[in-house]
Amino acid sequence: MSGVNKAQIGGFLARQGILVAFVVFMVGFTLANQRFLDPDNIMGVMRSSAILGVMALGVTFVVISGNLDLSVGSMMSFSTIVVLDLHDKLGPALAIPAMFAMTLCLGAFIGFLVGYLKLNSLIVTLGMLSAIHGLTLTYSGGQNMDIADKEGTWFSVFGQGEALGIPVPILIFVGLAALLGVTLGKTPFGRKVYAVGGNGTAATFSGIRRARVVFICYLMSSFCVATAGLIQASRSLGSQNTVGQGLELEVLAAIILGGASLLGGSGTIFKTVIGVLILGFIQNGLLLVGLQFYVQYVVTWVIIILAVWLDIAAKRGKLWSPIA
Amino acid sequence: MTSRKTLAASTALVSLAFAGAAAAETMKIGITQNNVGVDSYQTTYEKAFIAAAEANDSVETVVLDAGGDVARQIAQMEDLIQQEVDAIIIWPTNGEAVIPAVRKAFQADIPVIVTNSNIAEAGFDFVKSFSGPDNITQGARSAEIMCDKFKEMGIETEAQVVHITGQPGYTTAIERAKGFEDRLPEVCPEVSVVDTQPGDWNREKSQKVMEAFLVKYDDIDGVYAGDDNMGVGALNAAKAADRDGIIFVGATNFAVGYEAMERGEYWGSIYQSPVDDAEAALQTAIDVLNGEEVPFLNYFDTPKITQDNMGDYTKPVF
Repeated sequence: MSGVNKAQIGGFLARQGILVAFVVFMVGFTLANQRFLDPDNIMGVMRSSAILGVMALGVTFVVISGNLDLSVGSMMSFSTIVVLDLHDKLGPALAIPAMFAMTLCLGAFIGFLVGYLKLNSLIVTLGMLSAIHGLTLTYSGGQNMDIADKEGTWFSVFGQGEALGIPVPILIFVGLAALLGVTLGKTPFGRKVYAVGGNGTAATFSGIRRARVVFICYLMSSFCVATAGLIQASRSLGSQNTVGQGLELEVLAAIILGGASLLGGSGTIFKTVIGVLILGFIQNGLLLVGLQFYVQYVVTWVIIILAVWLDIAAKRGKLWSPIA
Repeated sequence: MTSRKTLAASTALVSLAFAGAAAAETMKIGITQNNVGVDSYQTTYEKAFIAAAEANDSVETVVLDAGGDVARQIAQMEDLIQQEVDAIIIWPTNGEAVIPAVRKAFQADIPVIVTNSNIAEAGFDFVKSFSGPDNITQGARSAEIMCDKFKEMGIETEAQVVHITGQPGYTTAIERAKGFEDRLPEVCPEVSVVDTQPGDWNREKSQKVMEAFLVKYDDIDGVYAGDDNMGVGALNAAKAADRDGIIFVGATNFAVGYEAMERGEYWGSIYQSPVDDAEAALQTAIDVLNGEEVPFLNYFDTPKITQDNMGDYTKPVF
């Protein structure tokens, strides 16, 4: 009986090592500062993680399909600036779909280049990272974008609103995570994404239209970016042109932390969510502990390495192994 | 040769030289900026600089932007030296890393004027003049604004302040923080700064930092942010958490800060005009080329602005 339990626990650890790491950190930070577990704080961290999280959901598809997306940071700046600008020109009801359409066009363009023209995704999206930044600057003329009437617009609901006592950004994040989690885990399309990322040639020979799968992944990624831009714009009702700068790397860090392979074919939405939460809680926890901020950069890195180690250690059942 | 002939010849030479000077009177001034477009201040600065140069017939400019990239800025410095401009204005992307490039210009006898945020002291020997705001004074003035308000409210013996700084390592951020932290204990010795964290000049980041502060401290009376963009981010966090009565003081008054002051939510800031900044830099370069005496630290004035006196200032365009 106890042997079965041990095996079960071992199996659980092997599958969910990153979850174990997450719990370890939560306990550690709580011991350092009791307020860490304050419901207001938990809600606050989840709310601000929602922006990164929503972006990471889409990029998870791209990564599992064996590609990269480095353009999401500047694409998020683009959607934020566009929706804020159009808000005052067209009103929120038209500005939101217009912004989604424009962002999806960018995603479709990348998807076309990587999927159908089979260009290297690293080069394409690295180029788009700066091209979209330039596009945003051209669009805004380099000016900060602010909504004129900040008090009298319902647009603020996406970033600042609450339903059932839960902030709307969290609801969007959880809802989208559930939807995309089912899409990836339970539908034929999801299996095709794994197949294309695991072995593209084999997938093609088994009749999967690889180009189309990749194209749709990028489209989903840009949809998630537009959603993140909407939350961001609505949260602060004003923005700099560089609001999303650097987020592309944080997104990738969260996904890899969750256990997806950059080579494609592995990863889940649930693990990405855990990765996002770990990053969010590390940042917040270090602020609450009150470490000097130069030290925080180092400590953040140490914690990330520790998390990856715990994950791997749980998978192989011991902390140290002479063979990989 | 008689002495009269010598005199005539030298007079001719001198007048020739003058004629030459008149023909070459157009000064060619190159500028390499930090990161135009990253924020409205820098965008407005560039526009004002170009406008001021166009309004002046004797000036021809080469306007470059490093896009925040140190390597690109160094390459641009080298380009400007190659083009043999008469003077170079640099808005350093990094106060340390650009020193070798500035030294190169110095060795090529091209006067260098640093604008907006100064380079590190090791490079002072290679620079003619620094034109820009006095960020230490700005930090000190923000401390005075905050202290005066605390005294008015009668909480100068107990108030607790949190401090959100700009990008770590950036000269402006370091100087403002220093000015604030040195001056506050002088004017309000009993006020304590309970925490300091960077907001990276970013509104969203600052909002996150402030959210954590609000959880960590039950009693926050004042927030000092290194610029209004971050100050407004912190204000948003406080509003979302329903924490009233906090005195917000920033620096570099942005339009969003000015509007928040109009609404009575944000107490004060430092009025710093990018137009003044750009015009002062160009004028300093022109003065240097005309051989005029220019102070090494050529500051333009950046006055205090609070809800009380904001009527004297127009709303910033950025």
